[in-house]
Amino acid sequence: MVYSSELIKGTLKTIVLKLLEDNNRMYGYEITQRVKELTFDRIQITEGALYPTLHVLEEDGLVTTELEYNGKRVRKYYSLSPEGKNKTKEKVSELADFMNTMKFLLDIKNQSA
Amino acid sequence: MYKINEQQIDYILNDISARGIEMEGLQLNLLDHICCIIEQELEENGDFERGYHAVIRRFYKDKLSEIEEETHLLLTNKNYYVMKKVMITSGTFSAAALTTGIILKYLHAPGASIMMILGIGIASLIFLPLLVTLKIKEQQKAKDKLLIVLGSISAIMMSLAILFKIQHWPGANMMGLISPAILALVFLPIYFVGGIRNPETKLNTIVSSVLIVLGCGLFFSLTITPQGVKADSVRVTGSYLRAEQVVKNEEQQVARLAKADTVNTTAEALTAVYKACLELKTDALEFAAGTTTIGDDFETRNELISNAPASDYMNNKEGAEAKLAKLSAAVYYYNKIAPASLKAIPVKGNIVDPKEHFGMARVAALISDIQQIQLLVLQNQRELSVGEKGMVSAQ
Repeated sequence: MVYSSELIKGTLKTIVLKLLEDNNRMYGYEITQRVKELTFDRIQITEGALYPTLHVLEEDGLVTTELEYNGKRVRKYYSLSPEGKNKTKEKVSELADFMNTMKFLLDIKNQSA
Repeated sequence: MYKINEQQIDYILNDISARGIEMEGLQLNLLDHICCIIEQELEENGDFERGYHAVIRRFYKDKLSEIEEETHLLLTNKNYYVMKKVMITSGTFSAAALTTGIILKYLHAPGASIMMILGIGIASLIFLPLLVTLKIKEQQKAKDKLLIVLGSISAIMMSLAILFKIQHWPGANMMGLISPAILALVFLPIYFVGGIRNPETKLNTIVSSVLIVLGCGLFFSLTITPQGVKADSVRVTGSYLRAEQVVKNEEQQVARLAKADTVNTTAEALTAVYKACLELKTDALEFAAGTTTIGDDFETRNELISNAPASDYMNNKEGAEAKLAKLSAAVYYYNKIAPASLKAIPVKGNIVDPKEHFGMARVAALISDIQQIQLLVLQNQRELSVGEKGMVSAQ
């Protein structure tokens, strides 16, 4: 099962921030691959959603970037800024809280039970 | 595993910029991403071009430039939220400041004027421009954008006109005339013609247009026209001259009565009040009319007493405060020593009352107050002379 892009859109910032927190520095392709791996292909981040989000995070000062040159190829690495580290905790706990609320709202019984 | 060469990198870069990716950062992101996928998925001797086109197709729904558009959208939307926040904060603050200012004004408490300036100033220079910028973004048609700009310029000017008016700053009347004129003569026709054609907006357009005409009409009827200002000044100046005539007549009669130069403290006190009156009156007249010799031909010579506020005169003309203080002291001294046979000069609500705030009063009212004091002095002087004569004849 692959989740709809509407569902992913609202949580993409949180996903990216959390991955950067766990992995120190990452580049765009690496982020999409890591998400795929971790979710057993159930969440596939599109390039069309990822890069606009990364640009906004950079503009907001939550991530810093480093360029690495390899001939004509340039790889842009992203890592969390101190501000981004705080924001990550905030975003993750917000999402956790949101999921609990949704569970209650939609009356979802714990399916593993 | 496939290895991409420099030529192919140029090919990819050219292709994505031709497809509308113009931001450099985004170009680099996509280039690296595409290279990674191709190197990961293509066989060592695979066809690069076919592989590339298959990969790039996964990046978008209709066209590649969607990514750039989305980036721009997200970046502008971020400002959008900040602007919205500032707009709400400044709007709330200006409403609160204006209300506080008005309450303070009614209570005659200090700080009223600064709060009102802040309130109207922030509303017209921060809140309204932000509101316009945000509203413009929501409109698609150039005509609707123009209407918002016209309407807001008019609104900003109108609120500044009111601010300038209550602060007696120059230019208030000009703005007060131009802003409803823009609204009625430029905004309204464009709005009306555009709105009435569309059956859906027809009723709303008619109602709003009627409201705009009524609003502008009410505003215009409140504004004093330049001719109105002049007519008022003519009336005020005429009134001044008549009062001055009465004072002169009384002066002559008193002079006729007081043959012997009786010198006593009461007479001296009255003379001191009268002298202080003349000094202050001459000075105030010069401030409000630009001359001290206004004659019956004042209208043709355009020597009119302006509607300048008394507080302006007190604050801006050098020596005005001192002259008023001198008059006030003379009046209080006379009242203290005046014998029971003479009348005291009423102080309450008069310019010589230290509790008196000039408020909205004009220089003309101040001059009129002085003339009344002059008459009271003259009447007392007459009483003094008659009383003495009476005493003389009794002896």
